[in-house]
Amino acid sequence: MATETEGGCQDSADKHIVVSGKLIDELEGLCEEDVFGCYQCGTCAAGCPFMDEMDLTVDEVLRYVILDKKEVLESKTIWLCASCFACAERCPRDINITKIMEALRQIVLRQNIDETDLECLTDEEKRSIPQMAFVSLFRKNIG
Amino acid sequence: MTAENKVGAVLVVGGGIAGMQSSLDLANSGFKVYLLDSSPGIGGTMAQLDKTFPTNDCSMCIMAPKLVDVGRHPNIELITYSEVESVEGEAGDFKVKIRKKARYVDVEKCTGCGVCAKECPIDAVSVFNEGLSERRAIYLMYPQAVPLAFAIDREKCIGCGLCENLCLADAIVYDDKDELSEINVGSIILCPGFEEFDSDQKGEYGHGRFPNVVSSIEFERILSASGPYKSHVLRASDGKQPKKIAWVQCVGSRDLGCGADYCSSVCCTYAIKEAVIAKEHVPSIEPTIFFMDMRTFGKGFESYYNRAKDEYGVRFLRCRISEIKEDPETHDLTIQYETEDGQLIEEEFDMAVLSVGFTSKEDSRDLAGRMGIDLNERGFCQTQEECPVETSRDGVFVCGAFSGPKDIPETVMEASGAAAKASGLISEARNTMVERKALPPELDVTGVGPRIGVFICHCGINIGGYVDVPGLVDYARGLPGVVYAEDNLYTCSQDTQKRFVETIQENHLNRVIVASCTPRTHEPLFQATIREAGLNAHLFEMANIRDQCSWVHMDDRSTATEKARDLVRMAIAKASIIEPLPMVELDITQSALVVGGGLSGMISALAIAEQGYPVDLIEAQSELGGVMRRIHHSSEGMDVQGFLRDTIGKVDSNPLITVHSNSQIIDIDGYIGNYRTTVEQDSDQIEIEHGVVIVATGAVESKPEEYLFGEDERVVTQLDLEGMMAEGADLSGKTIAMIQCVGSREEHRPYCSRVCCTDAVKNALAIKEAHPDANVYVLYRDMRTYGFKETLYERARAEGVIFIRYSLDRKPTVAKGKDGLVVGTRDHILDMDLEIEADLVVLAPAIIPQPGNADIGKLLKVPLNEDGFFLEAHVKLRPVDFSTEGVFLAGMAHSPKFIGEAIAQAYAAASRACTIISSDKFETEATVSSVNEALCSGCGLCAAACPYLAIELVDGKAVVTTALCKGCGVCAATCRSGAVQQKGFKDEQILSLIKGALCEVL
Repeated sequence: MATETEGGCQDSADKHIVVSGKLIDELEGLCEEDVFGCYQCGTCAAGCPFMDEMDLTVDEVLRYVILDKKEVLESKTIWLCASCFACAERCPRDINITKIMEALRQIVLRQNIDETDLECLTDEEKRSIPQMAFVSLFRKNIG
Repeated sequence: MTAENKVGAVLVVGGGIAGMQSSLDLANSGFKVYLLDSSPGIGGTMAQLDKTFPTNDCSMCIMAPKLVDVGRHPNIELITYSEVESVEGEAGDFKVKIRKKARYVDVEKCTGCGVCAKECPIDAVSVFNEGLSERRAIYLMYPQAVPLAFAIDREKCIGCGLCENLCLADAIVYDDKDELSEINVGSIILCPGFEEFDSDQKGEYGHGRFPNVVSSIEFERILSASGPYKSHVLRASDGKQPKKIAWVQCVGSRDLGCGADYCSSVCCTYAIKEAVIAKEHVPSIEPTIFFMDMRTFGKGFESYYNRAKDEYGVRFLRCRISEIKEDPETHDLTIQYETEDGQLIEEEFDMAVLSVGFTSKEDSRDLAGRMGIDLNERGFCQTQEECPVETSRDGVFVCGAFSGPKDIPETVMEASGAAAKASGLISEARNTMVERKALPPELDVTGVGPRIGVFICHCGINIGGYVDVPGLVDYARGLPGVVYAEDNLYTCSQDTQKRFVETIQENHLNRVIVASCTPRTHEPLFQATIREAGLNAHLFEMANIRDQCSWVHMDDRSTATEKARDLVRMAIAKASIIEPLPMVELDITQSALVVGGGLSGMISALAIAEQGYPVDLIEAQSELGGVMRRIHHSSEGMDVQGFLRDTIGKVDSNPLITVHSNSQIIDIDGYIGNYRTTVEQDSDQIEIEHGVVIVATGAVESKPEEYLFGEDERVVTQLDLEGMMAEGADLSGKTIAMIQCVGSREEHRPYCSRVCCTDAVKNALAIKEAHPDANVYVLYRDMRTYGFKETLYERARAEGVIFIRYSLDRKPTVAKGKDGLVVGTRDHILDMDLEIEADLVVLAPAIIPQPGNADIGKLLKVPLNEDGFFLEAHVKLRPVDFSTEGVFLAGMAHSPKFIGEAIAQAYAAASRACTIISSDKFETEATVSSVNEALCSGCGLCAAACPYLAIELVDGKAVVTTALCKGCGVCAATCRSGAVQQKGFKDEQILSLIKGALCEVL
């Protein structure tokens, strides 16, 4: 699940996400959702329009949190979530999973980790990535 | 309230299977019953079902005899199409106002012939068939409906008057009005049932929009022979046979989005049943069940689940479904689901069945309001574990799905249990409201030649329109032995029946034949009538010229008439050689013996004593209480030990109960009403005489043989844990791992022990409440916290108890670590190995039958099932009876169960027992078998074949115990020498029928 980079640029240890204490406490503080209430029934995953692209299924994300496995913060899934609310709408436990995804993103964002190393981008990437994407990215990192 | 003021009558509200069972128990114990139903007929939800699990019995076939019994019971008054307006008074003496809704058909006059509905020009939607077919504005709920009377749907009726003109019975009442009346009863039983969840609320599943998405109850109607497609499994969109059918579980259950925080208990098993039955109808169907936890917790359910998987090839997929999509052209359905290894699959299905849950009925909630009964927050009747059939109002009792989702056997148990409580309250008033008809002495017909009277029914135009009835009368008159013949518009109508008696007496008839409809519904009525005329009830024969002539040959009058002549001739041929069959009356010892002094045995004993009959309670141990002595708190918060102390105190101080502790049963001799049992107590032997037996021997916790149990003292059972916590064990900061299904649901012991999931959740919660810093892990296979117990499971999750599912092929491991115990398992979601450093490992061992069951079973001649628990007479409708009459079953001797369930069953057993010992006489069947000793070779085939154990070999000859014989005739069929004959169906009598069929001239 480690973030993969290209062009000889390696992950550095200081870029890792740090959670003080239990992930669940921090998460529930942010979203006020009862993550432990999850049945792991799979409804969220079965109805997610982006599941095909995700590395972790939606219920797996919740399971990571319950078992206090912080690797979840490095998953692609939380960023691919489009906040369509299909999971939240259909969750039989009435858990707003969309809010949990947002909270997980917030935990990462609040670390102010800058994953963008412009020097690591290839020329091809610089040409093909739309300019708006760079603008959004810089905005996100300045908060 | 003094004893003299108590009213010996009970009002039962709701005519489903619960109401019918309560009514029959009460009516057979000497109480008058008013059975009220809001619809035009009784039967309830069970009447709509096709088959029932786990035996796949036809629902209507097993229920119809009860329907008929209720319909014709002299102590039961049916009040259909009515509502309770108000209830005043107090326990023992209630005044109930009833509104009888205008039905526009006079029930007393309507004979159910159906001519009106055939001609009615107005179509309406059939509610009974769940809107899948049509009926007319004048309708009968279903073909077997009781009372067999039509009703007019005035919202649809245009008042054309066709039915009024056609009805020869003059039963149509266009200007009918609601009527108010008042009845006086001593107690009330509420069993109005439930409502299926309205699946249109789950828009994502497309019910109501996609024609091929149906609810489970709709699918029951589709499977049923009386359903919209006459038992053909078809798609609504194109009438084609589906191949792939998906069942979607938990629709409106375990779903906070629909306000349902509970499990509906029955859907898992009924989905399996529907899948299996669909496959039996069409072997090419490929059923898939999408589920979350497979909750097959009931007796025999787990093996049913295994059979569905292994023998029928039902596919089970563990995933809850997010939505169903439809191709608008083909109406095929697409379902996307997640596999257990996290893959997302999209699959096409031809049809989807939504397994809808139970909700409370709005009408029942209103009724509760009018009666002042407390409901729980889900709108179901509030009950307490100490007595699950009691409501919050004194003298008002409850049973069935009104107090929570449950299946048929549990409903039936509660129904009998509620009857025990309702009658216990008014036991002093027994037999005060029931009437016994004085009958004339039976005419002696020995030596008198046959004087046969033949009555042929037109059934309005139902028979008369297709068979030449007057011609048939003339024909009958000419046959030998016939001295009288007449035709009737309706032979069964009250005025005809009155004339019937006079005609028999005036013409000195000594054999009576009625040619009309089916003996199934009408034979008892005619038999009762000829008995009033002074003839033995068995000097009667019936020819079914409706079902077999006018119905099947309705296009061919001459063939129908010819066949009717054949049938009448057969009946006459037999009638000349039928004999009066005496009913034997046996004396009853009006007392009970209860085997087992655990909770169930004690409750049964108390309930029987409350009815005023003495009880001997046999307990093998020195103290009463059984396994309950080791339980400290219940899932519903009951103070178990306090309740147990109370109950023991009541038993000890009851003057009608004799407790025999440290006692063993040595021998049981006799039969229903007349048992003599030898009991050994401290090497003394005593003999007890009693009329009935209740088996309440309980069950025991098995001793685990794995997970280091017995090798490491930190590995304990759930019961041990309860004991430790009761003694104040400090679990603060500790890690506790619980392992479920230890010795249950495995190949060598395939059944589910039912209570362990809830037990684990209950104890996990107790730990978390006392020590929030403790870590609790529950390793489970399917979490079976059914019904309202689901809320405990939800609470445990919310409190941070971690649930990890394991599968049988990857069971957890327990090893000794450096300090603690290391529990290894695999996380089912992440598919990765986990290790838990546990301070305590708590096992949930299987509940196993008492080792002594086999001995008791042999003494009482009652069977055990393959798991070693006692086998009841019928798993659905006779859950506390044995097929041997006079012997009943309560508590965990039947199967593992919760305290509340055991209590309900204990009351039920008491109720069933009282239907026998509340009378000092017992009438045996008249059509019993008898043995001609001179012909009997003593081969024993009949004894082996008898399902009621009524035949024994004594000195090399078969001997029938008449009290036990049910007249099924199996013995007569097996006997090779013709020694066994069944009265009323002797060989010569059957041969006379055949001769009558084959010879034009008798």
